[in-house]
Amino acid sequence: MALPLPPGLTPAEIAFMCEMELVTVIPRQRLEGLDLLGGPTPPLNPPYRADLPLWLALLLKRQRRANISPPPWLNPQSLEAILRVETELSNQAFSPPAPLPPSIDPLLPNPAPPFVPSATYDAPADALPYHWLELGEILLEAASDDFETPDQVRRLLRDLREIRMEKLRKGAEVLDAGGGVKMNGVGAMEVGEGRAFITGVIDGLRKIGASKEQAKREREAEERENGFVGTAPEDEDEMEL
Amino acid sequence: MYYDIDAILTDAQKVPCQFELNVPGLGYIDGNTGGDLKRGTKVELPLWLGEMLAVSQPTSTGALVTLDLPAALSQRVMNALKADPRTVDLRAQAPHFYALAARMLELFEEEEMVDILTETFKKRSAEIADQAHNPRGALGEGAEFLRGLDETERQLFKSAHESAKSTRSWMADMKKH
Repeated sequence: MALPLPPGLTPAEIAFMCEMELVTVIPRQRLEGLDLLGGPTPPLNPPYRADLPLWLALLLKRQRRANISPPPWLNPQSLEAILRVETELSNQAFSPPAPLPPSIDPLLPNPAPPFVPSATYDAPADALPYHWLELGEILLEAASDDFETPDQVRRLLRDLREIRMEKLRKGAEVLDAGGGVKMNGVGAMEVGEGRAFITGVIDGLRKIGASKEQAKREREAEERENGFVGTAPEDEDEMEL
Repeated sequence: MYYDIDAILTDAQKVPCQFELNVPGLGYIDGNTGGDLKRGTKVELPLWLGEMLAVSQPTSTGALVTLDLPAALSQRVMNALKADPRTVDLRAQAPHFYALAARMLELFEEEEMVDILTETFKKRSAEIADQAHNPRGALGEGAEFLRGLDETERQLFKSAHESAKSTRSWMADMKKH
């Protein structure tokens, strides 16, 4: 209440985090590797492609020193296939995220996004990554000449966003004070957009159901108490404790 | 701790109370200035006062007043909500409908009412989300529904609308640069 900003991230902050994602560029000029805080970048040697963070790729693109090669899931065929999954195959769930790569070191946990490159040219083509919406929009805006059919991609992204937001909203009807809605595969921007509404619904449901919850807890406590006085359920209760 | 305006306004809503004792000199609240308030008189008191009087036990005989459910939570309204949650004007029933219901449910044990209200809130929330994402929603055919939202639902509509708007404006801003 006292904070002026609502909880969660603003769209601009989500887009800023997306700029950390690696994308594949095709350089037009040579550039030595740079030692950045986030680690060294590979040297750029035309015409060999290299993976750079999105923010650096955008900078080079703007200076016409490189072209960005869009990730495979951003081509129209992939997007159409994903759209088909969203509309026909799964009415409730979202299209599944890409499977995690196998762990290299058994002692370490599996690498997961954002530490798995999901927007490079060898990313899986049949799944939307966590930052799909903002990455798609940014690339379409800054590097639309690197797409073969930018308008078609733009239209497909819009369709995907509409249908997935619709599903997220419909999720409110199955929400419960204690239960949840399955959100596997939901992207960062979608989480940011849905956060205020979904937490609001859960909060409202919790307030309405508070008295019932209280009554249930009291009944359970009473039953436990009676159990000790009575004979039969005594053992069971003690087992639980 | 901050004072919550909505909680204060909820507590200020009137609930029907029946006096169980004669109270000398209190007749003015029932329009009988200077007289006594007779036992069995029904008056509408703010929730905070009614609750206080109902749970306090000044004599061994029982409470000073007995509370009743307000008209907003009557069986008639519950039946209407069961039939179709979307067509009921909750704001006309009580501006803080859900908050009032939650307070009353603390005092009365009405499991069925909890179920009806939970179902109502879910159904109406889905409708609110649809309206909030439709930029023309507030002006078009949804205006009637939006006028009937209670305070909790208005907050929900506002937050859903704000987040949709900020995402849209992020996209528009990016195009400008």
